[in-house]
Amino acid sequence: MNAATDVMLAYRGASVGYGEAVVVADADLEVRAGEVVGLVGPNGAGKSTLLRAVTGDADLRSGVVEVAGRSRSELSPRERASLVGVVPQQVSAAFSLPGREFVEMGRHPHLPRFGGPSETDRAAVRQALELTGTTNLASRPVDALSGGDLQRLALAQALAVEPRVLLLDEATAHLDLNHRLQVLDLVRDLADAGMAVLAVFHDLELAARYSDRIAIVAGGRLAGAGTPERVITAEALKEVFGVRAVVGPDAVTGSISVTPVLRDGAVARGRHGTVLVVGGGGTAAPLMRKLVLGGFTVLGAALNAGDADAVLAEALGLEYARIEPFAPMNAEAAVTVARFAERADVIVVGPVPFGRGNIDNLLVAVRARRPLVLVGAVDGRDFTGGAAESYWAEALEHGAVTVEDLAGAERAVFALAGGSDAEQ
Amino acid sequence: MSRARDIRPAVALAVLGAALAATLVAGITWGAVPVAPGDVVAALGRALSGRSQGLADTLIVGVRLPRVLLAAVVGASLAGAGAIYQALFRNPLADPYILGVSSGAGLGAMLALVATSAATAARYGLVPAAAFAGAMLTMALVVRLASWKGRLDAASLLLAGVAISYTLAALTSFLMVFAREQMAAVVYWMMGGLTGASWAYLAVVAPMFVVGAAASLTLSRELNLMLLGDERAGHLGLSVKAFTYGALAIASLLTAAAVSVAGLIGFVGLMVPHMVRMVLGPDHRVLLPTSFVGGAIVLILADMVARTVIAPVEIPVGIVTALIGGPFFVWLLMRGDRR
Repeated sequence: MNAATDVMLAYRGASVGYGEAVVVADADLEVRAGEVVGLVGPNGAGKSTLLRAVTGDADLRSGVVEVAGRSRSELSPRERASLVGVVPQQVSAAFSLPGREFVEMGRHPHLPRFGGPSETDRAAVRQALELTGTTNLASRPVDALSGGDLQRLALAQALAVEPRVLLLDEATAHLDLNHRLQVLDLVRDLADAGMAVLAVFHDLELAARYSDRIAIVAGGRLAGAGTPERVITAEALKEVFGVRAVVGPDAVTGSISVTPVLRDGAVARGRHGTVLVVGGGGTAAPLMRKLVLGGFTVLGAALNAGDADAVLAEALGLEYARIEPFAPMNAEAAVTVARFAERADVIVVGPVPFGRGNIDNLLVAVRARRPLVLVGAVDGRDFTGGAAESYWAEALEHGAVTVEDLAGAERAVFALAGGSDAEQ
Repeated sequence: MSRARDIRPAVALAVLGAALAATLVAGITWGAVPVAPGDVVAALGRALSGRSQGLADTLIVGVRLPRVLLAAVVGASLAGAGAIYQALFRNPLADPYILGVSSGAGLGAMLALVATSAATAARYGLVPAAAFAGAMLTMALVVRLASWKGRLDAASLLLAGVAISYTLAALTSFLMVFAREQMAAVVYWMMGGLTGASWAYLAVVAPMFVVGAAASLTLSRELNLMLLGDERAGHLGLSVKAFTYGALAIASLLTAAAVSVAGLIGFVGLMVPHMVRMVLGPDHRVLLPTSFVGGAIVLILADMVARTVIAPVEIPVGIVTALIGGPFFVWLLMRGDRR
């Protein structure tokens, strides 16, 4: 098999839409046998429209869509249907045919004009039921099934076609966790067995986990497909979805984990205070996020690269004094923190333990003589042999406020610097 | 499990077939002048060998038999057309009236009635032809209107059908003003009746029915696909638009056959497929043939009532179907069975 015949589905300069309106312009994408290509992007960007251009439900304004090397417009509906299986977002079945006959409808493109299903057809139906784990639904009327069961039968119906291309339009959106993984594992297996799959995903982590390549659809364009690691990045999510997110390797699945941190539009306007947060080890991340949402300019004290608080600060685009992983604070970092402290209207010391590596954060915070909020007590957190405790006492002498937890710290910051526009 | 499913439709068809035969015989014996079932068989035998004799034979072969057969053909046509419309629109309330097809056939038939002076041979030929032309023209107009803005969907078809239906009904009523001498015949026809039944009528509509019924039976699998919705049916390889046009043409042919000879008979096209679906499910491989047979039985029975309930005066059979069908349908709705 050469590379050209390997391409089972191709968009070549395809502009697709409805009537005169073009939804996605000039799309180029190839889906080869044996791979799953995921489409992600905001609602209404045209992911489904791209799929619908294959089945003729959306119009092709210019360019070509090819199925198995033949232009879509050359294929008769039956020929196209025998090559392409489709699983829509949601199916409706307000009639009481048994599940088996519902699935058997998928054989339509293979059946002769007159005459019923042959043994081959019945075998294909049986196999589709088995693959999707829906054999137990075969004799139940489809109008009595749950949405999830019906959705799996719709997949069985699409597989009864014995297609070479499978189009999934958020096909697992209405399934519970178990069935979602069951369906996607099956889709993965089918691809590994040679099927070409083009799937629209809403869930970025699932997209990354099950796709060989991912393409983003946004702003009327289809970006070039690439590996999930290359495509699903914090920068891409900010640009496409307007969401700051932490994107990193997922320790368990080996795929990507995506943690949305905040939505650009959710940040409060009209507040201009600056807050320096002393954190580390993830102890201050929730507070930093809340303060950014509240409209404050948040600065981070010295943090080791890769530290949970540092990851969050980077996702939010916050300034912080970066030090090498596991390295102690150096003079340069201390100077940076001191400069941040001068700019800050309030300094917050989070519930972080202090050792030789980070004690300078506390020293700078206390000596800056800015309004200071201390979270928790110092007991049990001093691994410096007394230095942290003495700085803590000094801070209290100079009027530092103590609060029990991060929520208390948030309230204290709003009280000290949350005066909105009047502050500036 | 699947074997049991295969058997049930066969049993249902056999039962319905026997019921149809019994109803046919009952329809011939029943009337202002009762006839014994044995006489029916004897009279038919004499007629087939060309030795008909006496008044009884004339009554049986010349009057009752064409009447019963015509009732069967009209009932079957309406029920079959109803089953097709209901599948195409995925709406159990769809029937030959909803698209304006009946009104179109009615207007065509009315024009022919006005143009021909009396019960001449010209009328026998012209009325069905004009009804069919009216049905097809109306359907073409409705489809054209419904697809004005691009895609052809069920909702716009229904809306266009209802709008056209009212307009054509008004035109038909308007034409009645010019048909003073024919008023009685015209009014009876509009209320839906089989009074004029004769072998001549049967000869005209039977071929329309046979062609329409045979063609519709080849559409079962596609009609099943239409249950999934236009888009899903398209995914599975159906050329939805072309199929819809074709199926509409066949249903309109059946409707025209019924309307041209029997006028506007309501509820049979609505009720019969609905009942059959409740009992045997929505598979059109079963639903269509059983609807044809069921429609025939229902209209023969309704006509028996129409002929005799205030004998010797006949009432239009459309009154009977509406009187039975209306309450029956209300009962169906209140049961809340949406299968």
